[in-house]
Amino acid sequence: MSMRLPKTVLHNRSANPNFRQSFWGFAWRTIVKKPGRLIGFAIIVLFALMGIFGPYLYPAQLPINPNAIYAPISWQYPLGTDFEGTSNLALVVTGARYVLFAAAMGAVFTVVFGTILGLCAGYFIGLTDSVIMRITDFILTIPSFPLLVVLSTVWNFGQPVAMGFVLGITGWGGLARAVRSQTMSLRERGFIEAARGLGLSPLYILFREILPNVGSYIAMNLLLAVTGSIYAEVGLFFLGVVPFQVNNWGVMLNLAVFSAGAMSSPQALPYLLSPMLAILILTLGIVLFLDALDEMFNPRLREV
Amino acid sequence: MIEVEHLQKVYTTKGNLLTRSQVHAVRDVSFRIPDGGAISFIGESGCGKTTVGRILAGLETPSAGVVRLDGADIHQTPTRERRDLRRKIQLIHQDPYQALNPAHSIEQALSAPLQIMAKQKSGSPRAWIRERMDEVLTMVGLEPASVLYKHPHMLSGGQRQRIVIARALTVEPTVLVADEAVSMIDVSLRLGVLHLLRDLREKLRISLLFITHDVAAARYLGQGGQISVIYKGLIMEQGLTEVVIAHPRHPYTQALLSAVPVLKGLETMGADRFILAKEMNAQSDAQAGCLFADRCPFAQARCFTEAPALIGEDHQYACHFPEVRQVAAVAAE
Amino acid sequence: MSAELMHGKSAEPAVRVRGLNVVYATSQGDLPAVRDVDLDIEAEKITGIIGESGSGKSTLVMALLNSVGKPGKIVSGSVMVPGVGDMLSIDRERQRRARGKELGLVFQAAQNSLNPLRRIGHQVLDLGRSHEVRDLRDLLRKASDLLTRLGMDADRVLTSYQHELSGGMRQRVGIMFALILDAKIVILDEATTALDMLSQASVLEIVRELHKERGLTTILVTHDMGVVADMADRVVVMYGGEIVEEGPSGSVLSHPAHPYTQGLIRAIPRISGAIDRAVPLPGAPADLKTYLEPGCPFYQRCAAAMPKCQANRPTSLTVSADRKVACFKVTDHD
Repeated sequence: MSMRLPKTVLHNRSANPNFRQSFWGFAWRTIVKKPGRLIGFAIIVLFALMGIFGPYLYPAQLPINPNAIYAPISWQYPLGTDFEGTSNLALVVTGARYVLFAAAMGAVFTVVFGTILGLCAGYFIGLTDSVIMRITDFILTIPSFPLLVVLSTVWNFGQPVAMGFVLGITGWGGLARAVRSQTMSLRERGFIEAARGLGLSPLYILFREILPNVGSYIAMNLLLAVTGSIYAEVGLFFLGVVPFQVNNWGVMLNLAVFSAGAMSSPQALPYLLSPMLAILILTLGIVLFLDALDEMFNPRLREV
Repeated sequence: MIEVEHLQKVYTTKGNLLTRSQVHAVRDVSFRIPDGGAISFIGESGCGKTTVGRILAGLETPSAGVVRLDGADIHQTPTRERRDLRRKIQLIHQDPYQALNPAHSIEQALSAPLQIMAKQKSGSPRAWIRERMDEVLTMVGLEPASVLYKHPHMLSGGQRQRIVIARALTVEPTVLVADEAVSMIDVSLRLGVLHLLRDLREKLRISLLFITHDVAAARYLGQGGQISVIYKGLIMEQGLTEVVIAHPRHPYTQALLSAVPVLKGLETMGADRFILAKEMNAQSDAQAGCLFADRCPFAQARCFTEAPALIGEDHQYACHFPEVRQVAAVAAE
Repeated sequence: MSAELMHGKSAEPAVRVRGLNVVYATSQGDLPAVRDVDLDIEAEKITGIIGESGSGKSTLVMALLNSVGKPGKIVSGSVMVPGVGDMLSIDRERQRRARGKELGLVFQAAQNSLNPLRRIGHQVLDLGRSHEVRDLRDLLRKASDLLTRLGMDADRVLTSYQHELSGGMRQRVGIMFALILDAKIVILDEATTALDMLSQASVLEIVRELHKERGLTTILVTHDMGVVADMADRVVVMYGGEIVEEGPSGSVLSHPAHPYTQGLIRAIPRISGAIDRAVPLPGAPADLKTYLEPGCPFYQRCAAAMPKCQANRPTSLTVSADRKVACFKVTDHD
């Protein structure tokens, strides 16, 4: 008898599952459905782990080897070495944290600003909408990369959060517009009218009724914003407008081109290509994974 | 008791400054529904019946006129009280596929309004919400355990409409506005939902405003209540449901009754049945006479020059030449 | 087999469907959508095919034209149309020509079967070109005559885009397209569903008149028993992908034999007779699960269900002259 008891409990739970439990299970099933999604997911997880634990894998001061300057690819140096004989792989792994953290922050800021402003503009049509949209138009007309270049001369980007914040500030315009137009079409739908009729608060309507329905769109934008942010910050470092304080992919590119002359001397090529390869693989992972997001956040496809 | 007096709604269509024109969606509509009573608005699409319902539900503001719920004007009360007052009038949408948030389970859909209601109740809110959820679901004929965890896409049209009604009941309304509430539901399930609405009228003494183009549905639901036939925002005929259907006097009402399909083998066609061939022309609004004159097969010269007033006591009609015609089908046997 | 003989003595059917099976390919395997359908559409009569969403009625109609959309697939059967042959086995080009010339289809107005970017007149010409009509001028004249016949201002309609027309007008334009190549068999798939009562009545009136004038064979597909009862000479009731009852409309309506037909007729709110004669039909329409059950598709909702009905599927049998029913309760008696 005592053996049977847990079974029934389990059975009850599966008959009346909690939303949260079922969401993660559902998300996992969505990912495993296609091999492409699984590969994308694995790549993203790998890079996330690299960003978190990468610097702990190597000593704080990476070893230098004067005998192996610009060493070719070998078992000891899978991606070759740089001008000091430091392993490129070690540089890519330890440099991931700043790049990825700043990119993630940039994406989060973009999505938070874009979503909140888009939702408010779309729901409280009228004056709020006009004001928010004029600001959005203003943001959209500013060429963001040159602005970043200018801002970086006055701002110290030693902290990745600061970099992320600036990336977010300049990047939310497009998302806000898209979220606004989706919100505007949703607010005409019956269930929003019903929620208003039931006397639910505007906050509830905005964040609990409308937000889940633009969820997949926002999640996709979050991932795309990550790649966008990586390009922007790596670009800044590459141009050398931001003072180098820590090692990262952008710094590697800059040194490879401007100091090592990778464009003319083939021996420095691995130094140039290794950060590019990292960016390429991460972008590929994100693109492959995007396909799963739509299905994951679409409640209609969820079977209980 | 809900009272509506001289309701008007004028929309200004967008265009440039010169071509901006006005559309009279509702011209002059007055009615009252006692507690537990029913009134059906029938008319074709574009006649303004939906606008009346939306004004009542507080989704639109009237251009003129008053809507009073138990004596209080729902469009004039201070904002704070207005929310409570409006909650008393619930709209049941035509499309149950749009009326439920696809991202929410049924439990979430019902608990949100109940959380607000729980603030006004004593005792443990969580237990009360549970209990009340079960209560409203049972009331609409669904088994709570089997639907609570489901998402709307897993339910049939009829079940969805029942959930929409259950959600409306959570806030303890006194008036339900059902806008074509069954037209998008499978035929075999339609009558079940109509039956439910009729039950709520009787059991909870909820007043019902039923908006439809289906006279037969109005007859079923509005038993003992009133019927208002509306055309271009103006009431053409108004009276007890049974009387208007059995002895229609206005040609427009007669056209609507004629349009109901005749069930061969069960019914015989009404002797005076006629089918309107002309479609409603929204442009011919400005004419001086009767709004229906341009489509009316019985129109005479006077109809084009002079607008008829709504006359009669209990059974009112706005027609210069009212005449009872046998247009409705008659049951065989 | 006496049924064959009985049909034999009346005129040749306009469409003869035999052993038709259509499945939908899903992740759970092939789901049957139309099962073992045998059907004779009588020439120059109005046949009403009635069923709810998920009954397979629309799939059946698309199968008549051999244009079942993916993931649907016709597995077996034949659709014989005199003068054309078996729609399911003739080559694609002849099928395409038959659609429009022999079989005209009128869609639901809401389904936007008209091209939103081209004027109606242009679409008439497009249709003419794709069917190799020599005299396009004559075709336009015909379109204009038909539109006038349908009670519309032909010149205005031909120069309009679809969004400039009301629902009722669009539906009439749809009828014009179905008839312009002189199709003798016209299929109206939920053609009046999205319309309100008055437009529905006037469109149906036009269908009735044209049916008589041109000696058409009309197939009305709808979920509305009222429309079928008013218009049709014969009724075909579908449930769960099968034909459960078939017969002349008057006799089916006054004496329905299948429990589903009975329930459906009882569930119509009417404007005549006692109000409480209308009784709701319990349960939910047939869904995917129903299709996989081995027994009668109506078993779950049937008040008269017997143990036998759960495990065995009743076949359609002739019960009296011209009437067929698929129900053990009815067919087992004799």
